[in-house]
Amino acid sequence: MTREPQLIPPDAYPQMVSKSDAAKISRILRSNDALTRGARAIQEASQHLREGVRDYVRELEDAIGDHEITADKAHEIRGFAETVGLRATGRIANGLCRYFEEMRKFGAQPEAAVIALHVSAIVRAANAEDEASRMSDEVAKELAALVAHKLAGTKAGTPG
Amino acid sequence: MSGSAFEGLQVLIVEDNQHMRSLLRTLLNSVGIREIQEAGNGAAALDVLREKPCDLVLSDLAMKPMDGIDFTREIRQSPRSANPFMPIIMITGHTEKQRVEAARDAGVTEFLAKPITAQSLFSRIAQIVEYPRPFVRCDAYFGPDRRRKALDNYAGPWRRHDDFRDLHVQ
Repeated sequence: MTREPQLIPPDAYPQMVSKSDAAKISRILRSNDALTRGARAIQEASQHLREGVRDYVRELEDAIGDHEITADKAHEIRGFAETVGLRATGRIANGLCRYFEEMRKFGAQPEAAVIALHVSAIVRAANAEDEASRMSDEVAKELAALVAHKLAGTKAGTPG
Repeated sequence: MSGSAFEGLQVLIVEDNQHMRSLLRTLLNSVGIREIQEAGNGAAALDVLREKPCDLVLSDLAMKPMDGIDFTREIRQSPRSANPFMPIIMITGHTEKQRVEAARDAGVTEFLAKPITAQSLFSRIAQIVEYPRPFVRCDAYFGPDRRRKALDNYAGPWRRHDDFRDLHVQ
């Protein structure tokens, strides 16, 4: 038998915090002071946290040849790198993610050379002394242009 | 600053990368949230919750052996769940529509796309605290109301008893 949909209002189930605490907590979380503290905490931990990104980068290198794992690791890098200040690494990883996602939509096989170029650039950017260098930014731009060109070619049914 | 407001608030972080867990813990600590538990995947998180219930879950999406979607489904639907109404913030670098919809349909409360910032994380938690959502229970779904906006031009489908009442009022 089909059950009639039931709407359960917030007052009818246990809340995370009391109503009086909710206003206080919300005010704290939305305050400039909290944002400053949070940003400073990330900054202070960033050296340690960058090692996390580099762990993913090592796993990305090891995954070449397996598109599913490569795409998975690229997503992880995209999500983590910018938070800890590895901006170019994040941008390049974002380009690789976009390439995988769009090729999946087209039902096309990603090109090994495009993947290899991105992985190589991610490895270099993540391990560079000055990650946010003009060189890394240029590489990110060039790779984004390459992906756009390849996707346009795939969409048009030509090799690109 | 905020010690008393967050006192007793229990948060569970479910994430397979220890550095990401560390980042989330660092951010929560920075506003005075101290009571934090961690698990490396959905199955381990369920074990943690059996031992000690919590008030809020921050969960990654892609994990093995149990991902964030299956974990959410367990929380919402399992008869063994300690709190099927528990707020779950799904943190993910996977923003493809298909995955987001799967997580939404499993009963996730909020999404947080990576890269994470202090502002993005804190505003999601504030959102849950300020505007708790009604829950919907029907044959195919149990979880937070998936309709976030009352659209004037919404043309259906009308599936709820309340929908019809509202229509009649109009």
